[in-house]
Amino acid sequence: MKGLTKNLVLVLAIAVVLTGCKQPTQLIDDAKAAIEDVTKAGADKYAADDLKKLNTDLTAALDEVNAQDKKFLKKFGTAKEMLTKLKTDVDALKAALPAKIEAAKNAAIQLQSEAKAAIDEAKALLAKAPKGKGTAKDIEAMKAELTGAETAFAEIQTALDAKDYIGAADKAKSIKEKAAAVTSQVKAAIEKKK
Amino acid sequence: MKTLSRTSGALLLGTFLFLCSCKTPLAPPEAQQAEVLDQALWRSGASFYAQENYVQFKQSLKSAKEKIAREKAKFGWFRDYEPIRAEFRELLQNGEDLLAKVEGLKSSKSKYYSEQAAALSARIERLKQMTDYFNENGPVRKNLAQAEIKLSEAGLLLQKEQFESMGNYLSDSMTFIRQAEQAMMDVLSRYMDRKELEKWRRWADETIVESKAKETIAILVNKLERKLTLYKKGVAVGSYDIGLGKYGLSDKLYSGDEATPEGRYHIIRKIPSSPFYKGLLINYPNEEDQKAFALAKNKGLVPAETGIGGYIEIHGGGKDNLTKGCIGLNDRDMDEIYRQAEVGTAVTIVGAVSVENTILADIKKFEKNG
Repeated sequence: MKGLTKNLVLVLAIAVVLTGCKQPTQLIDDAKAAIEDVTKAGADKYAADDLKKLNTDLTAALDEVNAQDKKFLKKFGTAKEMLTKLKTDVDALKAALPAKIEAAKNAAIQLQSEAKAAIDEAKALLAKAPKGKGTAKDIEAMKAELTGAETAFAEIQTALDAKDYIGAADKAKSIKEKAAAVTSQVKAAIEKKK
Repeated sequence: MKTLSRTSGALLLGTFLFLCSCKTPLAPPEAQQAEVLDQALWRSGASFYAQENYVQFKQSLKSAKEKIAREKAKFGWFRDYEPIRAEFRELLQNGEDLLAKVEGLKSSKSKYYSEQAAALSARIERLKQMTDYFNENGPVRKNLAQAEIKLSEAGLLLQKEQFESMGNYLSDSMTFIRQAEQAMMDVLSRYMDRKELEKWRRWADETIVESKAKETIAILVNKLERKLTLYKKGVAVGSYDIGLGKYGLSDKLYSGDEATPEGRYHIIRKIPSSPFYKGLLINYPNEEDQKAFALAKNKGLVPAETGIGGYIEIHGGGKDNLTKGCIGLNDRDMDEIYRQAEVGTAVTIVGAVSVENTILADIKKFEKNG
């Protein structure tokens, strides 16, 4: 009787091995839904690298499912672990997203300050640039360009107010670059005058 | 006991063989491949670039997956995945086509917007060169700087493959370029006005004819071409590069407008030593200038408390010097002119004399583009 029980357990175990390993469909769907959800929450803008990694992990998990699916003895354990970890990572990213958005905001504000400093530096340099023979025309042109950069500067705050921190940062970078170009030109004009 | 054990063994073997030989058909591997493809489509931005097709793909995928689930619910022996496999194969083909379409679309968009950005950049550069030549550095250069900033932002979006937003920034850049061109046209449109050109031509011809008839020296200043020509008895004996002021291409109307007057003048004083080397003072404002000033004042076009101005000279100090309305020359050229000119020498200042010149052709091109 004891042997029969043992054998029945063994039979059941084989049955489970051969028929019980189902694809982790629900886990896949959950992971995909979670990724879409965190993307909508702004991860594509504020955590692009993290999101890319999550997508890579998802692809890896799907590849694992795919590989097991082709086997006679399917073992979805690893895929399940991967998908479970992925879901945990997505949840972690979702929890960290507000901090990342805040960091993007702070970075944009920092770039705004840098753009302002670049404009101020160019202005100061323009003010003391010699407006003599050969440089006066250039100085006038640079003054006008700097006025353009100053006018555009106001758009950074507009973007910040609209919570478009990436846009604000891009604007600040472009303005800073323009102001720096003016500074270089003024220096060149001063050099020309020497 | 032995019999029982044998029976159990047979049962075990039977079960094993049953499960193996009557193994349920495998779920189609295409299902998993479709999942991977769906992921690739999502990553490529299919939901954005080919929304309708992607939604269709997703719906087909969902429907096919539901069919698998229904099939799986059946008892193993009765499962048949073949029709579903065929469906998945078609789905995979459609998905691959869609992925190629999205990648192609992105590539063509990237190329298109890169070309647009390069064209705008070239247009900005050309306008800058023109402002360098014309000294028009106020609103034109300001707008060009703003256009450059928008273009730079567009470039950052190109790196992120955000083509639609990039298109908006390019459009903004174009708006600033048009404003710059318009600001330039505000100053230069006179130079395309046939009546103005005829008037200037007449002044120039009369000056040369008088120089010939009276056998005198005459000075002709062409603002657009930045040239001063010295005539002796109606014959050009010297041509010199000149510089003007910040708004030199405009006709002087009042004090402080930094414009250079246009009209028929004469030298009223020779200044042998001045902060600008040597000078030849002309009789600005003449009668015509005074009439124009009075008219403008009545129309409110001149700031209150502002006079008509004066002290317009041809002077040295360098042609690259930015004047306040005078005509600047290199000192060596000034020496030659100063030596030959006398009080009473005619000085005619015109905008341009020829319709057929490359500068005007450029301006016309801008007007056409605008």
